[in-house]
Amino acid sequence: MGSPFPTSISKVGEGHIVVSPLPSGGNGLETITYQYPLKLISPTPSVHQKSVLVFLLSYGGGLVGGDHINLDVDVRAAALLSVVTQGHTKIFKSASPDIVTSQNLNVRIQDDASLCLLPDPVQPFADSVYIQKQIFTVTPTSTLCFLDWVTQGRTARGENWSFVSWKGCNEVWLAGHSPDAKPRLLVRDTVLLSSPDSVVLGRSLRDAMHQMAVFGTLILRGPKVQRLADFFTTEFAALPRLGARDFRTIEDQAKEDSQLSELERWRARRIRMEREQGILWSAAQVRSCVIVKLGARTVEGGREWVGAMLSKEGSVEEHFGEEALMCVK
Amino acid sequence: MAANNVGEIQDEIGFLEARLQDARNRLKNVQLTGTQNAAQKDLAAANDAAISASVAPGLGSHTHFLLLLSDSQLPLGSFAFSSGLESYLAHTPPRAASFSSSFLPSSISSMASTTLPFVLAAHRSPPKLAELDDQLDAAIVCTVGRRASVAQGRALLGIWERSFRSTVAGDGQVLKDFSTLLRESKGQDVPLVSAHLAPLFGIICALVGMSLRQTAYVFMLSHVKALVSAAVRASMFGPYQAQKVLASVQVQRLIDVVIDREWNTAVEEAGQATPIMDLWIGRHEVLYSRIFNS
Repeated sequence: MGSPFPTSISKVGEGHIVVSPLPSGGNGLETITYQYPLKLISPTPSVHQKSVLVFLLSYGGGLVGGDHINLDVDVRAAALLSVVTQGHTKIFKSASPDIVTSQNLNVRIQDDASLCLLPDPVQPFADSVYIQKQIFTVTPTSTLCFLDWVTQGRTARGENWSFVSWKGCNEVWLAGHSPDAKPRLLVRDTVLLSSPDSVVLGRSLRDAMHQMAVFGTLILRGPKVQRLADFFTTEFAALPRLGARDFRTIEDQAKEDSQLSELERWRARRIRMEREQGILWSAAQVRSCVIVKLGARTVEGGREWVGAMLSKEGSVEEHFGEEALMCVK
Repeated sequence: MAANNVGEIQDEIGFLEARLQDARNRLKNVQLTGTQNAAQKDLAAANDAAISASVAPGLGSHTHFLLLLSDSQLPLGSFAFSSGLESYLAHTPPRAASFSSSFLPSSISSMASTTLPFVLAAHRSPPKLAELDDQLDAAIVCTVGRRASVAQGRALLGIWERSFRSTVAGDGQVLKDFSTLLRESKGQDVPLVSAHLAPLFGIICALVGMSLRQTAYVFMLSHVKALVSAAVRASMFGPYQAQKVLASVQVQRLIDVVIDREWNTAVEEAGQATPIMDLWIGRHEVLYSRIFNS
């Protein structure tokens, strides 16, 4: 029995998590190492915990200009891992535009293994320069559920997409049949927000964002989230048509509303919320993944919407446990 | 690349020579008006015509194809797509909606940041066509956008096979192999190739001898023409205003700015510069009434 604290490794900002199933049932951490400014915490698992829970943190709750984080994650065959954060990942300003703050995540999910990554959004401050790259390598039987979202900044300080640049790239690769075989790219979702580029085109980045406070992408793939993926595509197809008019009388409306199923009533409430909070979303089936794009007028509105959708369907809680959802509630 | 530069310089020489000849003719006509002899004037005009025909060089095959590929009658079916404009109008209060100051720059920027690197890459290295098509397929994360890109790409491949191939020198083996792959991909969950517009446009422009810059310009201008045409049919403005927008310095500048911006962007680095565009295009499916497919 060694030290109760995770061992430290030498490289600045690097970390490694390895999760594997325990012989006694459940999942355990085989490895968890990290180095400043990255910090990883995993609460002692309880007997009933469905997945290993890891908090992805940084000292001071954010990344200072020029910080680099490189996190490797291995989810071994049949293991389950949930990764969450504690509050927005703040990206502090860079002293000059050529000082880049970066975060790289490299995840391998083996056969029948699952990862659920539902963090708080990234909050880039004014004058920050940020690049993040998240690469997920999956197999035909592994499950992936992850959310990547970015906010307009600190509204209390008048920030509204006031950073220099923000670049986020998410890639999902299908591992080859043998270890030497080349993996196949399934999805590459890249967002490039740049204030100077926007100004050259004749309008500020803020104007180009059309009053949205948060933009997000949710990517779902694999057997444990298949039902969830179908739920999103079904709900998208069930959205009321834009520009349609309701010709029913108020009495007819009330009468029909009273005969709705529980799901239909929930949907009607959610759609009203989408309208009030200015939430725009779409879901698309892309090369065996389902990709949900989300934009919201307020960060809390966006969070509430994601939480409502995931909780209503229930797959995340069923497979990963309630803790996996703590950042979207 | 070198051959294309020669072609461009030849075009420029031809154009300057034609202007010089034109100026000489006008000078002669002015000098002749003083004389009463009409027969002499006709004779001189006939001589001039013969001289100018022997002097001005032809525009060359690559210019011919440039005009064909930039023609709005090229049967790609571009008129069926509004690239999110129809959805933008449905999502924006009428008073806040603006074509030139809001939608146009967003759409040009988004089109360039997501797809122009693929046009350039296919022009620079035609053998990579299938790989580029596969990577673009992974990067268009929106059903409606994929539909529009694939429909126009397949139409362009059809134009190449049925109309251009017999005229263009070079065997176009890459495109033959690509068509075979496309047939084999039918019904696959993750197809080997899908025939997206951008890489096919790049390689076909390279095969007909257009320069890289011309290719990028025609690709972006065609996008703007399709947008403006959609705006006319969506009753945002009339045909004269449409030509005014197309002719504007703003459009010329926007196209040049985005081509410069993406000139050295690797396809792996391409991405969405206007995230709300993905939402507008994706939500085209929830419109009650639609006049466009995208």
